[in-house]
Amino acid sequence: MSVERAVADLEGLPRKNGELVFNAPWEGHAFGMAVALSERGAFAWDDFRERLGDEIGRADREYYASWLAAFERVLLERGLLSQAEVTARADEYRTLRRDPVF
Amino acid sequence: MSHSHGDHEHHHAGGHQPEAPGDLEARALALQSLLVEKGILEPADVDRIIAAYEHDIGPMIGAHVVARAWNDTEYRRRLLADAPAAVRELGYQYPSSTHLVVLENRPGVHNLVVCTLCSCYPWAVLGLPPTWYKSAPYRSRAVSEPRAVLKEFGLELPEDTVVNVWDSSSDLRYMVLPERPAGTEGWSDEELAAIVSRDCMIGVALPRVPGAVAAR
Amino acid sequence: MNGIHDMGGMHGFGAVVVEKDEPVFHARWEGVVRALMNRTAGRYYHLDEFRHAIERMPPAEYIEAGYYERWLYALEELLVDTSLAQRGEDGPRPAVHARFAPGDRVRTRNLNPKGHTRLPRYVRGKRGVVRTVSGPFLLPDKNAHGVREWQPCYAVEFSARELWGEGAGERDRVCVDLWEAYLEEDE
Repeated sequence: MSVERAVADLEGLPRKNGELVFNAPWEGHAFGMAVALSERGAFAWDDFRERLGDEIGRADREYYASWLAAFERVLLERGLLSQAEVTARADEYRTLRRDPVF
Repeated sequence: MSHSHGDHEHHHAGGHQPEAPGDLEARALALQSLLVEKGILEPADVDRIIAAYEHDIGPMIGAHVVARAWNDTEYRRRLLADAPAAVRELGYQYPSSTHLVVLENRPGVHNLVVCTLCSCYPWAVLGLPPTWYKSAPYRSRAVSEPRAVLKEFGLELPEDTVVNVWDSSSDLRYMVLPERPAGTEGWSDEELAAIVSRDCMIGVALPRVPGAVAAR
Repeated sequence: MNGIHDMGGMHGFGAVVVEKDEPVFHARWEGVVRALMNRTAGRYYHLDEFRHAIERMPPAEYIEAGYYERWLYALEELLVDTSLAQRGEDGPRPAVHARFAPGDRVRTRNLNPKGHTRLPRYVRGKRGVVRTVSGPFLLPDKNAHGVREWQPCYAVEFSARELWGEGAGERDRVCVDLWEAYLEEDE
């Protein structure tokens, strides 16, 4: 799965003039992480895409909020991360106990 | 541009007190840091992929130039007189190796750009050319049957509109300044730039106001 | 040269195919070829030489090859087994007298050089009107072969009917950038 195919296959990605648009750096990171891990074979792109479609249909929210939720689900389902460690780590960032720059 | 997940724009402006990341950002950070720690993800991979898409901002430069010209008649005049200088005026680089000429679409006159001999393209303002621009069908037919080519792009021009095709040479590059569509009065440069696609600036499309599409 | 690359007006290539959401590069090597060219053009060869190297591809290969394959071919031609001598500077653009002015009626010469040229076949021996004067630029016909000669370049406008006959749009026009050596006065 190449980056090109991954992106070409997706409808609804926020674009401006054909280029992807990220409204905040984390959106770019969420995008890059999903594509990179799929390229490395950590999960099948189709699995991610299916969950993305599911998340988009689930709630009316910004595109990358759905993207992030779908990415998280794939990681948890494949046992790459646990819900507990993700929640704990996110809390550390949210409460500034961990420096967001790394 | 919307920042509904917390505004981090002024994050460093005030100095010492960093703002807490929003919920989504915190989750993205959590995932990324954990995946990197576990050796599942290479940080460089992510950067590479983002860069591949974010830095190919070519058409955005042209779109900004067009939007400025629509909103500012003095800028438009400077752009038509000396396009490289007008591009640099907006803070972009324009190389000295090729000259740029901006072609103004007017009521009854439509401009279309091609390079029949190779694939000369105003890459400094539009980025790298799409494959169709470099293809034999486009290069062979744009000069001899431009209306048929435009129809394939979904653009049917009135009979009495003059089609002016520009076959670019190696040293001169052309970019089309489309006509500002109705219904965009009072729009900001940023809003206008969003409706100016690369294809509009090659001349195979016209800018469209999103709301007007439904009326098609 | 009257090569396969001179495509203006040719028939038989079919409809323009547009790839939806096309990536910048279709494969990593395309980006590498692009970067190689960016690093070497101007330093070891002029773009006119680069273009002429592409034109010298065997016609069947040219048609079959993708865009960056053609670039790769030219890079091999220009960089492999050569002494890789650095080019000298082009020097400042000299002031060159322009023989024609906007509005002048001109006729293109019927030139058929075996080397590089920017005079496409479809505008040879045709009548047109000078629209703008620019340059001077190096004459590609000589520059591609290592000889520098600065000349004015003109955007010459032709009516579509002059180029393509009665079937063409009555009011449509084609503008082509042509160096002074390609033009003569039209009485």
